[in-house]
Amino acid sequence: MRIPGSGIAKGLAVTWRALFSPKETLQYPDERPQMAERWRGRLDLIYDPFGEHKCEVCFQCAQVCPVEAIDMSGFDSQGNRIRYGLPEIYDERKDPNAFRRAGLAARPMRNAARWDEAVDEPWVRGVVDGFGGRAEALVAIFGAVQERYGYLPERALRVISDRMVIHWAQVFGAAGLGGFRLLPAEGHLVTVCTCAACRLAGGTDLLAAVSADLGIGPGEATPDGALSLETSEEVGAGAMAPALRIDTLVYGPVTAEQARHLIDQRRRAGARARG
Amino acid sequence: MDWDLLLAIGRFLLATILLLLLTVPTAFIVGQMELKIIAQMQLRYGPNRVGPWGMFQSTIHGFKMLAKEDHMPDRADRITFTLAPWMVFMAAAMSMLVIPFGPGLVAFDSKISVIYFFAIIGLSVVGMLIAGWASYNKYSLLGGLRSAAQMVSYEIPLTLSIVGLVVLTGSLSFTEIVAWQAEHGWAFVWQLIGFPIFLIAAAAEINRTPFDMVEADSEIVAGPFTEYSGMRFGFFYFAEYVALFIMSSILVTLFFGGWLAPWPLPAQLDGFAGALYGLFWFFLKTYLFVLVAVWARTTLPRVRIDQLMGMAWKVLLPLAIVNLLVTAAVVQLLEL
Repeated sequence: MRIPGSGIAKGLAVTWRALFSPKETLQYPDERPQMAERWRGRLDLIYDPFGEHKCEVCFQCAQVCPVEAIDMSGFDSQGNRIRYGLPEIYDERKDPNAFRRAGLAARPMRNAARWDEAVDEPWVRGVVDGFGGRAEALVAIFGAVQERYGYLPERALRVISDRMVIHWAQVFGAAGLGGFRLLPAEGHLVTVCTCAACRLAGGTDLLAAVSADLGIGPGEATPDGALSLETSEEVGAGAMAPALRIDTLVYGPVTAEQARHLIDQRRRAGARARG
Repeated sequence: MDWDLLLAIGRFLLATILLLLLTVPTAFIVGQMELKIIAQMQLRYGPNRVGPWGMFQSTIHGFKMLAKEDHMPDRADRITFTLAPWMVFMAAAMSMLVIPFGPGLVAFDSKISVIYFFAIIGLSVVGMLIAGWASYNKYSLLGGLRSAAQMVSYEIPLTLSIVGLVVLTGSLSFTEIVAWQAEHGWAFVWQLIGFPIFLIAAAAEINRTPFDMVEADSEIVAGPFTEYSGMRFGFFYFAEYVALFIMSSILVTLFFGGWLAPWPLPAQLDGFAGALYGLFWFFLKTYLFVLVAVWARTTLPRVRIDQLMGMAWKVLLPLAIVNLLVTAAVVQLLEL
C-alpha cells in the first residue's frame, strides 16, 4: 500500500542530500580549468552560410603546427587540387618565413635527424605500386617494409603516404597497429597473447613454455639481441587461441612444440636476410 | 493626566515602529535564504559575489527595486492601483502586532489575538484582488481572481485546524496558548491532525510553492503583479517574504511552544535575560520552518488549480472538522 506523502518525502530527501553535496560549477574568473600545456581548443572546420568549407587550404595552420600534426589536401579557391607533401617537395613548411608569418621565432626542423634514415625510396614506391596503391593494402605494405628494415622508418611512411595519396595522419595511425615498430630495434619480437580467450585456451602454459625455451621472461631480450619476448592482450587473433605473434605474423592455435619450431625458423630466416 | 494611558500609548507606538523596522531585515534574510538554499539544493552555488558569501544579494535586489521606474498603465484605476501594495504589506505588518516574540515581548496582548490575526492576514486577499482589478490587464485580473478563490478556500481549513487547539487550550490568546504549552508540552503532540492541516493550509494561504497559483510566472506572467514595477512591486515582494516569516512564527507559537526552549529551564530566567532567551528560541524555530518552506519550494512542482481546490474542500476541510470533533470529545471525556 502506498503511504500518502511518501513521494513527497522521497523528493525532499533528494533535495536535502543535494544541499550538502559538492557543486560541480567552476568559479571561472577565480578558478581556471587545468588544461594540458599544449591544448589549443577544439579543432573545427568552419562552414560559411552556404554550407561550404571556409577552409581555403592555405596551409598556414600546417606551417605553424609545432608537431606537424596537420596534414591536408583539398581544393584551393581556384579549384586546383592541392595537398601537402614531403617537406623536400613543399619546403615552405620549413621555411623560416612561414614561422615568421606565424609570429614564431624561426628555428630548425625539430626531427631533422630522422630524415637521415637510409631508405631505399624507389624500392618503397615499388612495393606500393606492387599492391596497386590500394588503401586496404596498407598493412601488407607495412609488413614488407618492416621485413626489410626491421622497423617502419618515418621516411618510408612519408613515401608511402605520398605515393598512395593517403593522409599522413592515417598512415601514421595505421603504423600504430600491433607488431609494427616505429623505432629501430634489434632482432625479432615474439608476442604471446594474454587476452581472456587465449588464456582459457592454454595461453598461460604457452607463455611459460616459450619463456623457458628462450630463457627470458616477458619484457626481456635474449643476450644476443636476436629475440625479445613480450605479452599483449591485443594480438587480434580472433578464433585462433592460443595465439602467438612473431613480428607481424600471427600464428594459432599453437602448441609449445609448434611455437619452438616457429621461433627457430624465424630466427634462421632473419639471420639469412640480414647476413 | 493619566500617565498609565500615556505609557501604554508610548509602548504601543514604540512596539509598532520596531515591528515595522523588523520587517526590513526579515524580508532580506528570508529572500537571501530563498536565493542561497534553493541554489544549493539545485546543485548551484547561488549568489556569491555581493558581500561575503553573497549575503547582501537580496539587499541589493531591494535597493534595485527603489531605483526602477515606477510605471502605471494609462487606463489603470489610480487610487486602487496605489492602494493595493500598501494593503498587502500592511496586512502582513499589522498581523505582527499580536505575535509573542518572547516573554512579555508582544506589542498588543489581547484576549482574542488569534481572531485578530486571522482577520488581518485575510486582508491581503483584498489587496491582491484590487491589484488584479486595478491593473486593467486580463492576466492580472485572472491572477487576482485565482488568488481570491485560493486564499478564501484555504482560510477555512486554516482557521478550522486552529479551533481544535483553541478548544484544547481554552484560550484565544497567543500568550495564553504559549503558557498552556509550557505546562502540557508542545501542542503539535496534541494536534497530530491539526498541525499538518495548518502547515498545508498556511502554505496555500501565503501562496508558497506548491500552491503558488497566484503568481504562476510561467502561466499568467505574475498574476496580479503583472503591471506593477519599481517599489510598488517591491512591496508585494516584501510582503510575501514577511508573510512567510509570520506564518512560520504563528505555526511555532501555536504548535511548537513559541518562545519556549525544548527543555524546561534549569534556573528561572526572568527580565531581560529571559526575554533574550525566549527571542533566541523563537527566531531559531521560526527560521527552521522558513527553511522547511524553502525546502518544499525547491522540491515540489506547482499543483493544478483543480487539485488545489479539491485538496481544500475534499481533504483538509473534513479532516479539520474530524480533528475538531475528536479534540472536543477528548477534552470533554478527560476533563482537561
